[in-house]
Amino acid sequence: MNQPEPSSEHLGTVELRIPSKPEWVAVARLAVAAIANRLPFSVEEIEDLKLAIAEACTIVIQQGGGSQAIDITCDASTSHLRVEVRDHRYRDRGESAKRPAVMAVEGEGLGIFLIQALMDDLEYSVDPQFGTELVMTKRVGA
Amino acid sequence: MDPQPHVDEERWDRARTRDAFGRLAVARNGNAPGAERLRDELVVAHLNLVRYLAVKFANRGEALDDLIQVGTVGLIKAIDRFDLERGVEFTTYATPTIVGEIKRYFRDKGWAVKVPRRLQELNLSVNRAIEKLTVSLGHSPTVKELANHLHASEEEILEAQELGQAYNLLSLDTEVTGDGDKNAQTLADYIGKTDPGLANLEDRTNLERAFEVLSRRERIILFLRFYESISQTEIAKRLNVSQMHVSRLQQKALEKLRDVLLEK
Repeated sequence: MNQPEPSSEHLGTVELRIPSKPEWVAVARLAVAAIANRLPFSVEEIEDLKLAIAEACTIVIQQGGGSQAIDITCDASTSHLRVEVRDHRYRDRGESAKRPAVMAVEGEGLGIFLIQALMDDLEYSVDPQFGTELVMTKRVGA
Repeated sequence: MDPQPHVDEERWDRARTRDAFGRLAVARNGNAPGAERLRDELVVAHLNLVRYLAVKFANRGEALDDLIQVGTVGLIKAIDRFDLERGVEFTTYATPTIVGEIKRYFRDKGWAVKVPRRLQELNLSVNRAIEKLTVSLGHSPTVKELANHLHASEEEILEAQELGQAYNLLSLDTEVTGDGDKNAQTLADYIGKTDPGLANLEDRTNLERAFEVLSRRERIILFLRFYESISQTEIAKRLNVSQMHVSRLQQKALEKLRDVLLEK
């Protein structure tokens, strides 16, 4: 996963759980924007983050298989913002299940590629049985 | 957020896309006349992808048509550079290129300045709309009512209210130069002050005009006394008069000046 850079200082963690419905995605967008605004991100980078988070939520909703909620964890450091988006029923199966975005398969949509283009780092896991998880990082000044 | 109607279309397209790229490579290698047409076909076949991506950036203050246009440039670049032997799907390859082209367009347009302004403007109009709607509706408006009134989304209203000002706030102690040392200059150091020299200049102009009421001798005395700081005794010697006389003339001249300046 992402090794924190030596000069990086952890600022705080924000956890958010929203209903797994499209009309709640805006709440995640706004929350992430407010968190990103506490780091020295440019307005453009904040817009990119919002877009990436919305795409991630959309993927989780589409793949959710009836899951009721999306869990969003934002880890803010001086050097980067790391956002984890996963459906509530997600069960971690370890590193081996994670894939880089280029392995996206049919039906998972273009959102993965879009997030990949907007963020510095993306790892994700989509599985009908174990649920969906996307872990993405945007670095300050990258 | 967005349903993805593209999925089926894309699935249908993949085999065909691969086939078209294969034929395009062959046509290019052999300088065959069909290359241009194949390229055009590929562009048209993927305009949906460009549109899908451009729409995602449509809330950033640029016209969607413009975004589609620059996105299409990105698509064409991607088509020209794509190599089937990379083993990735074309959409995987093209998306970052198209997004990159759209983002570069924003950067070239100085977008970093534009978005806060959009939010600031919205922030201002939100405040005005709140006042107006409170009166016309007879109650404090809901975000939905504000959004309808301003033709904006509810999220934009919330964002404008929460972040509209925050985007723009900088501490006066923000260092502009230096690296935290004593010589570092902060924003506050650059705040303009009233220049005392400017008031001096005005006084000087008034004084010059007032001098015109004085006789030639009075002017000489005041000039020597105040500009050259020469003593009354010395002035008396130069003008060949008594020191008492110089004193009286100086007194009278100053009174004249005072009268003229007070009249203004």
